[in-house]
Amino acid sequence: MSDRAGSEPAFESSVLRAYAPGSSNALTLSDESALAKTIVRAEAGSPASASLAVSFGSSRREGATLVLGQRPDEYMLIGSAQSNASIVARLDTSGHVSVIDHTHSRALFRLTGAQASATLEKVCSLDWSNAMTPDGAVVSASIAKVNCDIARNDREPVDAEPASASPSYLIACDRSFGQYLFDALIDAGGEFGIGVVTAADGLQE
Amino acid sequence: MLLVPCPNCGPRNAADMRYVGESGPRPDPNTATPAQWRDYLYTERNPAGLLRETWYCRSGCRTFFVVERDTTNNQFVHGPTRVTKLGGKA
Ligand SMILES: [Zn+2]
Repeated sequence: MSDRAGSEPAFESSVLRAYAPGSSNALTLSDESALAKTIVRAEAGSPASASLAVSFGSSRREGATLVLGQRPDEYMLIGSAQSNASIVARLDTSGHVSVIDHTHSRALFRLTGAQASATLEKVCSLDWSNAMTPDGAVVSASIAKVNCDIARNDREPVDAEPASASPSYLIACDRSFGQYLFDALIDAGGEFGIGVVTAADGLQE
Repeated sequence: MLLVPCPNCGPRNAADMRYVGESGPRPDPNTATPAQWRDYLYTERNPAGLLRETWYCRSGCRTFFVVERDTTNNQFVHGPTRVTKLGGKA
């Protein structure tokens, strides 16, 4: 293990089971676990909290990073390692502030499609309508009995017509539940023709 | 299904919560007798009526909060209020 010191271990996803690529465009699931995830804890009113500039339950895009307000005093940065690092480098860490790299400890999936909300509603007790969880919303909830942090991050603005809406959700959970949750989402989306697609390189524009 | 009002997340299924128990003042550990400490930890009033109790938003915002619930009809009547000091029942 001489290469441990000073070098970043290679990323390995918790999702190892292979699924045939899906043919349906209506509902897709991808493993985005390789995106960097940085969790910042900063109490409300601290300089770090102010500079992250996102309130609990919402998110915003900064460069190649999505900044999530996932607890009243906790933020998750999802994006490229360089982009997350540049945001962290500018943080004023005075007061009670911690910054921890969770890239290897959290699994991350993207569920996209007109039936994505209907799929979540089968395995989660929250209301996934546009009114309650619009694009940008961040919530934490139990999905298929796994505690998850979810950010709605649509590929394109969802217009008023439900038929053309394609909501997209980033779903993060502990790495050890990754394969189970991936399988559970495939199972829940089965009736809607869910298909596995390869991860997009980075966040959706 | 019991809908528990979280101060941050709004009403949530009780399955998303952890029930902490009856709320009451925590005795001073420096002066409390063993009997008082045991009473604080283990004895509950279990009234038929209004009960001040602490919940933990386990799957949501991870906040402890206090509500008042009528145990005869499961209606939440007061609260929620945030618990700002951890380490005991509020
Ligand atoms: Zn909550």
